[in-house]
Amino acid sequence: MADEGKSEMTLPASDDHKKYNETRRTFLKQSSLLTAVALTPPGMLQIVELEEKVDEQFESVKVTLEINGETKELSVEPRETLLDLLRERLDLTGTKKGCDYGQCGACTVHVDGQRINACLAFVIMQEGKKITTIEGLSKGATLHPMQEAFMKHDGFQCGYCTPGQIMSAVACIQEGHANSKEEIREYMSGNLCRCGAYPNIVKAIEEVKNGGAKG
Amino acid sequence: MEKASLQQIQIGDPLNRVEGQLKVTGKAKYAAEYNLSGVTFGVMVTSTIAKGRIKSMDTKLAKKAPGVLAVITHKNAPEVPGYKAAVNNEGARVYGQEFRLFYDDQIHHNYQPIALVVADTLARANEAASMVKVQYEQETHHTDISRNLDQAIQPARPEDYSRGEEDAYLTAPVKVVHEYHTPIQVHNPMETHATTAVWEADNKITVYNKTQATKISQQEIMKAFDLKEENVQAHSPFVGGAFGSSSRLWPQEMAAILGAKVVGRPVQVVLKRDQVFNMVGYRPPSRQKVGIGASAEGKLIGITHEGYGITSRYEQFTERMMDPTKSMYHCPNLNAKYRLVPLDMSTPCWTRGPGETSGSFALESAMDELAYALNMDPLSLRMKNYADKDPENELPWSSNYLKECYKQGAERFGWQKRNPTPRSMRSGEWQVGMGMASGIYKAVRDRAVARAKLLSDGSVLVQSAVADVGPGSATIFTQIAADVMGTSIEKTRFEWGDSSLPHAPGQFGSHTTASVGSAVYDVCTALKQKIQELAVNQKGSSLQGAQATNVVFENASIRLKNGTTSLTYSDFLQQQQLPSLEVIKESDGGPLLEKYSGKSFCANFVEVRVHSVTGEVRVQRVVSAVDAGKIMNHKTAQSQVYGAVVWGIGIALMEEGLIDHRYGRHVNNDLAEYHVPVHADVPDIEVILIDKEDPVIDPMGAKGIGEIPLVGFTAAIANAVYHATGQRIRNLPITPAKLIS
Amino acid sequence: MKNFQYVRPTQQQAALETLAQDDKAMFIAGGTNLIDLMKRNVVLPEKLVDINRLPLRKIEPTSKGVRIGALASNSEVAEHPLIREKFPLLSQALISGASAQLRNMATVGGNMMQRTRCYYFYDAALPCNKRQPGSGCGALQGINSKHAIFGFSDKCIAVHPSDMCVALVALEATVLVTGPKGERQVPFKDFHRLPGEHPERDTNLEKNELILAVDIPASSFTQNVHYLKVRERASYAFALVSVAAALDLDKGTIRNARLAMGGVAHKPWRLMEAEKALVGKPVSEETFQQTAALAMQGAKAFEHNAYKLKLAPNAITQALKTAAGLS
Repeated sequence: MADEGKSEMTLPASDDHKKYNETRRTFLKQSSLLTAVALTPPGMLQIVELEEKVDEQFESVKVTLEINGETKELSVEPRETLLDLLRERLDLTGTKKGCDYGQCGACTVHVDGQRINACLAFVIMQEGKKITTIEGLSKGATLHPMQEAFMKHDGFQCGYCTPGQIMSAVACIQEGHANSKEEIREYMSGNLCRCGAYPNIVKAIEEVKNGGAKG
Repeated sequence: MEKASLQQIQIGDPLNRVEGQLKVTGKAKYAAEYNLSGVTFGVMVTSTIAKGRIKSMDTKLAKKAPGVLAVITHKNAPEVPGYKAAVNNEGARVYGQEFRLFYDDQIHHNYQPIALVVADTLARANEAASMVKVQYEQETHHTDISRNLDQAIQPARPEDYSRGEEDAYLTAPVKVVHEYHTPIQVHNPMETHATTAVWEADNKITVYNKTQATKISQQEIMKAFDLKEENVQAHSPFVGGAFGSSSRLWPQEMAAILGAKVVGRPVQVVLKRDQVFNMVGYRPPSRQKVGIGASAEGKLIGITHEGYGITSRYEQFTERMMDPTKSMYHCPNLNAKYRLVPLDMSTPCWTRGPGETSGSFALESAMDELAYALNMDPLSLRMKNYADKDPENELPWSSNYLKECYKQGAERFGWQKRNPTPRSMRSGEWQVGMGMASGIYKAVRDRAVARAKLLSDGSVLVQSAVADVGPGSATIFTQIAADVMGTSIEKTRFEWGDSSLPHAPGQFGSHTTASVGSAVYDVCTALKQKIQELAVNQKGSSLQGAQATNVVFENASIRLKNGTTSLTYSDFLQQQQLPSLEVIKESDGGPLLEKYSGKSFCANFVEVRVHSVTGEVRVQRVVSAVDAGKIMNHKTAQSQVYGAVVWGIGIALMEEGLIDHRYGRHVNNDLAEYHVPVHADVPDIEVILIDKEDPVIDPMGAKGIGEIPLVGFTAAIANAVYHATGQRIRNLPITPAKLIS
Repeated sequence: MKNFQYVRPTQQQAALETLAQDDKAMFIAGGTNLIDLMKRNVVLPEKLVDINRLPLRKIEPTSKGVRIGALASNSEVAEHPLIREKFPLLSQALISGASAQLRNMATVGGNMMQRTRCYYFYDAALPCNKRQPGSGCGALQGINSKHAIFGFSDKCIAVHPSDMCVALVALEATVLVTGPKGERQVPFKDFHRLPGEHPERDTNLEKNELILAVDIPASSFTQNVHYLKVRERASYAFALVSVAAALDLDKGTIRNARLAMGGVAHKPWRLMEAEKALVGKPVSEETFQQTAALAMQGAKAFEHNAYKLKLAPNAITQALKTAAGLS
């Protein structure tokens, strides 16, 4: 373990983290048989944030990230996905769960400016990253031109895939993949819409690409 | 003059959706998004066999898992009074014994929910659910329609239909007879089924629910738990797509309600994507046989249509598979027979164009085959057999602009340029084909109630329990109210999606506009009348003594037709010393509807390209001409047609729920393997809305639009594929595998 | 999903050692397939070693060609000017796969390590030798429309789902790996395995080894290349069959050729015999059809995938024609 001191461990830093890791390993093997609090390392409970609704964090680790411009210090289970964090703990339910397996695009958010599927991202792996969700897209009361264009062109029906479509559409233009209808359709194909609003979504993207939505 | 008056809204205007801003900003709350204080998370454990009984279930480990609050099974579930009541099929939409959650140890189908694990976080509930160990006593199951056709039963309803001579097609000079197959298709709305249940008191519950019918949801919960109407509230303003799949009470609702009862906290249950395939409805597969005979000139002589669907062992779910056949064409001799094969599956449920979609694939494919047998243009064949009245019952149409659909659709599409010979058109390596089909779908109206309130600021509030799962109903009802009341959109508000609001039927069957729209229209008309009555009787009012016919409502005010002075609604209320003025009105179609046959119509024209080497099919162009009566909102109506066309592309080319019958279990039950169309599958779609008033069905002149464009659409694609390749695919979906073999 | 321990080393050695400490530890990079499998309880790691902070993201020219770091994302590679110019076949293959979002997340190393999409592998209620050795192959007598026609065994008939790997095997890439015994180079065609008796093993990566990079040798396959992916849905779908075709042409004659298929075997299926047969032949549809026939020797279908016996040669012919500019 000579080099492990150079590892950026996300568990609480301590001199005897080696021992700590071993304890945790044993712990993990037993965890299903034991209650959580008893073996949770001291100090863990204090990390809990006010906005969390669960007051005892099993296997929690600390993470700091920026969500919609706000720095968040959170303690999360390693298995917690960005999608579940947003929806179940931060009340940012604009990011939708459609499949939970990266097969529909409803959970599309931007991480450091790139569109990704939040259902396939562990929160703990986003340490230090900037996350933008649909709630952070508009500037105050002023909607993003893509949001305006979706309304004008009726780019949705039930509205459930819509935040994902919009986040994806904004990225699609930024990436330079909105130069023709065909290209838009190809690069938006990771966002399913079961209502079939596709033709209107394409119109909305074309309009924003060509200078923004008006009216 | 008020600024708002510039934005006077009328029926038909392409108004943006009233809830649009909530949807594009992520603020619209769906059933699992209320994040109620103290909410807990329920995850269902589902069976891994198709038939048998639970021998034992070990929940010890799950119960001890961190954060777990309860594990509910048939052994410990709270009693559901309604489950013990005798089955009453009188008026029930589905005949038989409904599925009873956690009722006993019997397994009726794979993926049957057998336990609910409730925990304080979703991750913990998920993990604990995987710790429940189950042992089964398996019995032989049957899940394959093809191998069990001999087990088919005649359903309790509907009855077989016939007119004229039976199997008359056999005697016709030109005839075709073929079998057509359609597979299981699954609604797969983007939001999976979800419910958050809260017991407000021992006998009072609120469910934040995914439902197309808040009143049905409320009534079914009342029945199940023996509760009073005022103690059950179903709240469902936003629904992430449904397409028929949220029109009855399902296990996730019952599980959330039972879970909340046990843990004494709100419980949220969201189905996983794999769980929606065989638990909360699906479009049953069909096996159909159609025989059509015609004279050499192309006049239809006889049609015989036999169809098989499937159902569960505990209920008879029936579809309207034969309906298009009965009414589409003038044909003196026709017999239609529909049978059900009970299998060890969950009960199917209504799926966009339930029955009509599968039935019209067979009928409209067969019509195309007949056209080739006659050496006749497929459009001409259909025009030649246009029905002047409904041949099913000899009633006059309430309105019928099918001929306009044919004419305008063909013109826009350029049907005349089509070379009638199959395999005659090409673009590089792509074979080009053009096909068309007709569609017919019931246009009916149900009882609905609406409340309208004139408020002190002169604005109008209209309320109905109706859901808006995406068609834009809330927008067009706002629009109808604004049009009738003469108010701006800003001064007109519509509230929907809650069972405590006035009664509305479920938002399905393309009858919401006619039913609820009429109630909105009628209640606003009644409110205006009340305003006028009060105003003309008010001493000192500029309107005193005015005749009803001489009064105009516009710009949120009332004035004499030729006068200049007007009284704003808010001044009116002040004059009357009223804080507000409210009217409730029930609307029903009345006896006139029974004297007519109400239907919507469409003609779909499709151009496909089939790759000559790989067999890939891409839809290149679509023209969909629709007679849905007067259009309430051109923007949302066009979107409805887009939706139906996208569904048609999916059903025709890719959707197929696959079951490994050895296990009676779906294998492609996720969105990577059950394909629904993506952006790249959908070309430009031209929509023609005939937009002519129907004088019978409702006061606005509307007919339904959500389903009609899908009827026949899959056949239009199959017909185009035949025209492109000379290959007739009678077994959906039309895949490269079938085309190159 | 079961909980797990999470470690994020910043140095390669630490990553390797952390992994080696625990039998049930796994590396995680993009996570697009692993997290999916963990959610379905198909893969149950007790420790995840997050390698994203290791410096393995570069795409750079080398004296022999290009080196692509194992952590370069699929979209970075696809869009990189060097790749687009010198290895357009790889670009095309990458862009045909998954969605824009997934390509942003997925890495080159992760793409190579992705598991099959066989239905039976993903459903813990059904038998699968790959998921649970000895439980049987569900697909053999089951629904096998998407399954292998080459190189299968009676233990497993699954196919490898990657598009990128089909291009890489055609381009004769080499995989640079490191592990307890130090670094080694693995020819791409030997990286993935056929199922044989051990379908649970997808690759020849040794225990506790880490993929560092992929080297692609410079070649003359920069112009006449085509990645053809056949699927029912027009995008965002795994291939029924795919073909990577690359030709080096001297006017109307084939100087050199590369050919590989996806969706037909447990590994990216390189067609070396067919490649050899193309050399010196004139560019013509006939040549390509003969090549396709040769490539199909030994193919065998199951109950539902007989269409691939026709689709695969058709696709080969088509891909070669497109690469040669004949279509």
